[in-house]
Amino acid sequence: MKFGRVALLLVAATALQFFVGGSGHRGAWPIDCFLIATAIVARGGNASRAVLAGAAMGFLEDAFSQGLLGMNAFAKAALGYLFAVLSVRVVFGGSWAVGAALAAASLVNDVVVALLSVLLLGSPLVLFSPESLWRAAATGVTGGLLEAARVFPWRDWWERRRLRRLR
Amino acid sequence: MSTSANEILQGRPRRSGLLLVCVLAFCVLVLSAQAPGAGRPRGSLLQSWILSVSAPIGRAVSSFSRGVSGLADSTAESFTAREENARLRQELARKDQELFQLRARLAQEDRQKLLLSAGASLPSVKMAAPVLLVEGRAGGQNALIGAGSSSGLVPGSPIAVPEGLVGRLVTVGTTVSRAQLLLDVTAAAGARIVKTGELGVIRGDGRGGLKLNNVATTSRVAAGDAIESAGIDGIYPRGVPIGRVESVSRGPMFLEIRVAPSAPFSRLTDVLVLEPSPAIAGPVGGGGSGGP
Repeated sequence: MKFGRVALLLVAATALQFFVGGSGHRGAWPIDCFLIATAIVARGGNASRAVLAGAAMGFLEDAFSQGLLGMNAFAKAALGYLFAVLSVRVVFGGSWAVGAALAAASLVNDVVVALLSVLLLGSPLVLFSPESLWRAAATGVTGGLLEAARVFPWRDWWERRRLRRLR
Repeated sequence: MSTSANEILQGRPRRSGLLLVCVLAFCVLVLSAQAPGAGRPRGSLLQSWILSVSAPIGRAVSSFSRGVSGLADSTAESFTAREENARLRQELARKDQELFQLRARLAQEDRQKLLLSAGASLPSVKMAAPVLLVEGRAGGQNALIGAGSSSGLVPGSPIAVPEGLVGRLVTVGTTVSRAQLLLDVTAAAGARIVKTGELGVIRGDGRGGLKLNNVATTSRVAAGDAIESAGIDGIYPRGVPIGRVESVSRGPMFLEIRVAPSAPFSRLTDVLVLEPSPAIAGPVGGGGSGGP
């Protein structure tokens, strides 16, 4: 993926995060847009870009939501690398596997941030809170749906639909 | 063959692995530089800059989001009742604000007779500000507020809604500020049980609830009792509702009291920013018990 597209993805993820977070119904579907964007970059298989994109997304997320800059950047850079390596070496079994991987990654992101908070801020360890589990589920389902939409044969479907109408 | 496959075949993962190590090391360095030390405030200058730069996009998208959200809400409502509903909501918000101010002033005046020496300032409302984003991760609960130093806000200003206390500003950008919510696992405030007058420390549990600590086992606190801010932490004004006792159990030294917050944290759309306590008018973030 080219750098221009990565930058565009970063802006889109930020806009979506504000769109969801600014709404009064933010708790209904709390997706981690930055994680999905990192996974999209990593899907190309270029680990270096995935690491840099993950770090950039994480820094931006930290600026909005964390006491310390770098916690999400640390987690997302590592996850970006992991995603890129996995996307090359493991053949994902479609949208279900992508969704499950994203849900697991969201939980791992939370665990890393929680551990860093404990180490650097001395805050109590909070793992797998209902909010965290719900975000993992929402992120996983959204990622799975995006993957399903990506691999869906839209052109064939449209052609078949057109032919059916003509008949 | 894809870039990635080429990378692996040519041994380039080693290079990306090295990049990963460098990025992680950079993150650790940045984190170490910001880790709270003696007298060092939370919220860095870099963070303040990022907030200021991202303010326009945040405000624009958030207002669009509010618009979409409002549209969805209003279409669900009956068309005839919409205008009247909006007018009544505005009126109610104004009344709520007045009630909030009067309640706080009344509580303050009552206690001033008994505690003249305490000398805490009145929790006057400075301004109302929209909530642009609420983020919760790993026990941290933060919100972005659509007002900043250009509106005269300073770090440490308490934020509240008519129903109760919400948190305090931590990082202030030009037009956007980041606030730490009371539900944050590292947030704390001096609290008072209204019925018994006993003091304790209210803390977020990082899971959407609150815990009242340091209350002796001899206390007669019971479920349903109201908890309000005590004004002893040098950050939050006294007399602002915090929540109601949900359950009380006996711990080894103190009671373990769970408190249901009175502020609707899951539905925050606007908050009232209060005047900062005189105790934090000096250095940013203050000390007190507002953070770790």
